[in-house]
Amino acid sequence: MLEIKNLHVTVGGKAILKGLDFSIEAGQVHAIMGPNGSGKSTLGNVIAGREGYEVTQGEVLYKGKNLLELAPEVRACEGIFMAFQYPVEIPGVNNTYFLRAALNAQRKYRGEPELDSMQFLKLVREKLKILHINDDLLHRAVNEGFSGGEKKRNEIFQMAVLEPVLAILDETDSGLDIDALRLVAEGVNRLRSDDRAMIVITHYQRLLDHIVPDKVHVLADGKIVARGGAELALKLEEQGYTWLEQGGIQSLGAELRA
Amino acid sequence: MSALAQQWGESLRSATPAQGPRWLDELRLRASDQLTAHGLPQRKDEDWKYTPMRVLEKLNPAIAYHPGSENHFLEKGQTTERGLNGKWFSDPIFPAALLDKPDYEIRVYDGVLVGHEGSDRPGVTVLSLSEGLQRYEPLLRKYIESVDISGSAQAFTALNTATLNQGLVIHINQQADAGTVLLRWALSGKAGPSIHNFRVFLLLDAGARMQLVEQFESADHSGSALNVVVHVELGSNAVLDHLRLQNESENTVLMSSTRIEQAQGSRYLYAGFDLGGGLVRHELKTVFGGRGAHATFLGAFVLDNARHVDNHISVDHASPGCSSEQFFRGVLGGRSRGVFSGKALIRPGADESSVRQSSANLLLSPLAQIDTKPELEIYADEVEARHGATVGQLDEAAIFYMRSRGLGEAEAKRLLVAAFCRAVTDRLENQALAGRVSQLIDQAMPSFTQEN
Repeated sequence: MLEIKNLHVTVGGKAILKGLDFSIEAGQVHAIMGPNGSGKSTLGNVIAGREGYEVTQGEVLYKGKNLLELAPEVRACEGIFMAFQYPVEIPGVNNTYFLRAALNAQRKYRGEPELDSMQFLKLVREKLKILHINDDLLHRAVNEGFSGGEKKRNEIFQMAVLEPVLAILDETDSGLDIDALRLVAEGVNRLRSDDRAMIVITHYQRLLDHIVPDKVHVLADGKIVARGGAELALKLEEQGYTWLEQGGIQSLGAELRA
Repeated sequence: MSALAQQWGESLRSATPAQGPRWLDELRLRASDQLTAHGLPQRKDEDWKYTPMRVLEKLNPAIAYHPGSENHFLEKGQTTERGLNGKWFSDPIFPAALLDKPDYEIRVYDGVLVGHEGSDRPGVTVLSLSEGLQRYEPLLRKYIESVDISGSAQAFTALNTATLNQGLVIHINQQADAGTVLLRWALSGKAGPSIHNFRVFLLLDAGARMQLVEQFESADHSGSALNVVVHVELGSNAVLDHLRLQNESENTVLMSSTRIEQAQGSRYLYAGFDLGGGLVRHELKTVFGGRGAHATFLGAFVLDNARHVDNHISVDHASPGCSSEQFFRGVLGGRSRGVFSGKALIRPGADESSVRQSSANLLLSPLAQIDTKPELEIYADEVEARHGATVGQLDEAAIFYMRSRGLGEAEAKRLLVAAFCRAVTDRLENQALAGRVSQLIDQAMPSFTQEN
């Protein structure tokens, strides 16, 4: 579904990604772990289409097509969704209104009829019920005055309504306490499906206790340096990123080294 | 002296003098002399520093005289044939009304009061200026003579006074309620570029109430100018809700000067929405003449191309225990320019006054410009005063966030601008009206969201 080959990205003239290879198929959940500054969030932003990231080499294919030439909204309409590390507050724009406008923009793109407010409300109620989210989020402005946990849950709620093909969760666990983490993870798990791929970007292993990945990729200094199953995350947790940076990767079995 | 002012001076000298009481004839001449002597507002006039006359000079309008229509005000529900083919209530020149079923509807077409229609509410009188002068001469004279017509800064009130013979008087008796009144202005442009002058009197006795909605929109885009002077008198505890929305074409010039006198406990609410026009200026001056009066000035302007809108507010806290608020939101695209000048004067002895001023502006293009000038002069004690002015751009992070959910860039910007302006429309009590205004604000936006 998504194939990234030899991706080089600079931000403000500084090389961040330096030849990253990555691929994921429908139905899978992959985790990307790595120390701060390794380029995890850059990867998410490049896939979502944020400005300011210059791709100097390599390619990103989504459903076999060049993703990089698409505008962010077209990527969204094609089924890409990024849950932001720092969801943006938009004062004055009602959460429900915004989400309906977004969903209808996507439906229009796909040639599906737009939902009226009654139909949309029905859909929203179903999703809220599945995610155990209180409906007071609906009546507020987008993320305005939300707690850290509420913001992250709102991201997952948006994901549930927009039903993406490929979801990227960018450090969705950051800033969450244990209870909020569990709630968010449960929400994500409910959205796992055979035709959806998810990329979970995280610094810590603890999220992966709740969202068990099919595969773990370790990102360091702009490259994937190791790949393995969920147990690789445990190994990292145990040894720490310093171990990785100090050449610990060499102690991994050859089958794990990228 | 500009060529236009000279041309107006010659026109005024050769015009057939309008008939009226002698004091008015004399005042007209005096105003005419003032205008001829001083000409149009200039850059050196502090109050006009940011509002040049270029658009007006380019339009080069001739003064429109309406001597024949002086006593032509129609009976309720009647129609006129004058330029309207007897169908003015369905004339397409008037855009969709902002109010569905106003209690009164009054129309001014090319500076001429062409008719009114409405319920007979007890204690409510609607008259033409000439009828008003017969009925309330001493009172109207007081207001007419109180208008400052001296110097180039007052060129438009001088012009309005020099040509004074078209106007509207609404008088509401003590404790009476006029309900909703829709005042619709239209310019046809049929006689070529002209400047039309008109005078309005809104006289609310003690405890009287009215909700007035003024709507300006010309069907013809060839360009005209309208110069309106409004007198508002609010008796003690009177309440006036005054909404003004203009959606004029880019070569229309609209000048308005509104003077409000408020007795104790009275409330004045102005909500101005400027979504168009080439050169637009609203001057609003209120004077608190008694304790416990309150005035709120709300405004939103959404401008594109080379439009210019200037809001000049001044509040004179001449009495203690009064409160005032100025709350403006401006959105500027293209090469448009906005001016906000908000002044509050708290005179000695006007203790326990409260003043709030807020002016926030979004610049959507590198060539758009805003001059915002909150000004507080405080000479009293125990005064609560807050003011703030901001100029910024749309939040790029918010735009990306919205795009990443599937909304196009233009739609994302529209939502942000609409949200920005909603801070003003949310303050309107009439929900239906707020909804209509929001829609019009929305429609005013696409041209600049696409060009960026």
